[in-house]
Amino acid sequence: MNWALIFGFTTLLCSCAVCYLSAKLWRVKEQLHVIQNALEDIESGNVNRRILARENDMTKSICYSINEMAINGQEQVTRLKQSEQSYKRLMTSLSHDVKTPLTSLVGYLEAIQAKIVIGDEKEEYIGVALDKAHHLKDFVESLFEWVKLDAKEQQFQFEICDVNELSRDILADWIPMLEDKQFTYEIDIPNIECSLRLDRNAYRRILNNLLQNALLHSGGNKVYIHITEDDKQASIVIADNGKGISDKDLPHIFERMYQGDLSRAGNGNGLGLSIAWELVNVHGGTIHAQSPPNGGSQIIINIPKAL
Amino acid sequence: MNDFAIETKQLTKIYGAQTAVSTVNLHVRKGRIYGLLGRNGAGKTTIMKMILGLTSITSGEINVFGRNIKGQEKQVYPRIGAIIETPGFYPNLTGTENLEIFAKLRGTAAPNAVENAMEVVGLPYRDKKLFGKYSLGMKQRLGIANAILHDPELLILDEPTNGLDPIGIAEMREFIRHLSVERGKTILISSHILSEIYLLADDIGIIDHGVLLEESSMSELKKKNGRYVQLQVSDVSKATLILEREFHTNDYSVQDDHTLRLYDTALHMGEINKALVMQDVTVISSALCNDTLEDYFKSITGGEGIA
Repeated sequence: MNWALIFGFTTLLCSCAVCYLSAKLWRVKEQLHVIQNALEDIESGNVNRRILARENDMTKSICYSINEMAINGQEQVTRLKQSEQSYKRLMTSLSHDVKTPLTSLVGYLEAIQAKIVIGDEKEEYIGVALDKAHHLKDFVESLFEWVKLDAKEQQFQFEICDVNELSRDILADWIPMLEDKQFTYEIDIPNIECSLRLDRNAYRRILNNLLQNALLHSGGNKVYIHITEDDKQASIVIADNGKGISDKDLPHIFERMYQGDLSRAGNGNGLGLSIAWELVNVHGGTIHAQSPPNGGSQIIINIPKAL
Repeated sequence: MNDFAIETKQLTKIYGAQTAVSTVNLHVRKGRIYGLLGRNGAGKTTIMKMILGLTSITSGEINVFGRNIKGQEKQVYPRIGAIIETPGFYPNLTGTENLEIFAKLRGTAAPNAVENAMEVVGLPYRDKKLFGKYSLGMKQRLGIANAILHDPELLILDEPTNGLDPIGIAEMREFIRHLSVERGKTILISSHILSEIYLLADDIGIIDHGVLLEESSMSELKKKNGRYVQLQVSDVSKATLILEREFHTNDYSVQDDHTLRLYDTALHMGEINKALVMQDVTVISSALCNDTLEDYFKSITGGEGIA
């Protein structure tokens, strides 16, 4: 009697265990099937494939490792695609932005050679042609710089330096040029040290590009440079009193090259801003533009403080 | 290998007497952002719901990742992330807790999936704020976090910018682009706002009254529209010289050895033609292109346009 009860109980227990284990086995088998499918998919090139694992799956750590590998593969694919894209953009830009000024340069030179223009007019033509050639040279230089940045090929040397002092240095070089172009300026940089992690050359390039933009394209006659800081970041503001930026263009001025709208970027003034944007990004900072209601435009750069 | 992440064949949905979706052949290419553009009630959400199995299909078929979805739901749905209308979260739990529930139900692809997803959309991890107290923008972000929680290959986003402020919309756009470019996701997004799709999508499908009127890549569309006069001339460099010297414009671009585009359409074309011919430049053709994207959509949708 007693024995029968124990026997029955044990049988029940055993069958429960068998059921539980076979259910578990079945689930693992199922999951292995999923893994196999995913692996085949990944092998055929779909590096976006992931395997999902539940919390108490026995295969969880394997799944996560496979996913990790797929993510690494995907990052490599992305990098390759990006450099391919940069190359394409370079080609498009060459064919649009270089071809137009070059064609017109040829037009001027041909007119000179064919002696269509003589005397003062000829001198003027030569002047215009030279101007165009210089523009073209600058543009091609910026273009290569931008492409290098875009493909993340440029090397930077970061060091802790005082942004206030560095900015003052850079601005000192600009003052003769500003005066030459009849620009007035207002510079407000505090006389204290503000340490940021900067690449000196890159920072110089950022300020140069923005100032050049204000000088050549804003149509104003005054620039303002302010630097302020709080406990997290330094803000560099470069403003002018020119014609400003229309609301429609405001979100896109830094991404000229992204839009594929290259046909009219002929004079290359979008490129300087794109380069500034890339360089600020390299510093972990942000750059954005504003059109204040009282006119002009304002470019604000925020760079986080060195830890 | 099949290049389409989603392909529908003659997809149709009939509610009673009303045809909501009529013989739609959609082609969403892998790794691209596909924008489904249409007015409210055009059938965008219905298509998305059918792809996700949230509503039945009247006729036609849907292939996802190159396989008919019918009978394959269990393999296919874990590879898709979606937000359709307002996502259902528990108002009395925090955002993190809500996501943890979904992570448990669905399984995850990495050990810290919830934390990652929240970080990506910029919501604080393990914050004490209850979902019920979230602002609309935060709710929408949490919806996205839920959609990307399991790192899916394909995202289906139904009007993800609905109810967001302009800054939120810009952020969302940036974020969707990031997912596509950096992470290689395929994204199907719907919107009734033309400019939004224009800024974001690689491919575009225009749907009206349940019918897919047009499917095209954005770059093709951009090529087609713009305001310019296309001139075919025997000598472009000479033509550019004439434009600059006599018409004082440099708002043009050189397309190839015989073609240039003049963007300054206010110029008198007759005068230009005359000046060119007078100076031995043969004008082979001149054509005015005056299409804007809005005009284009109006022409497709039969005059009604798209908001």
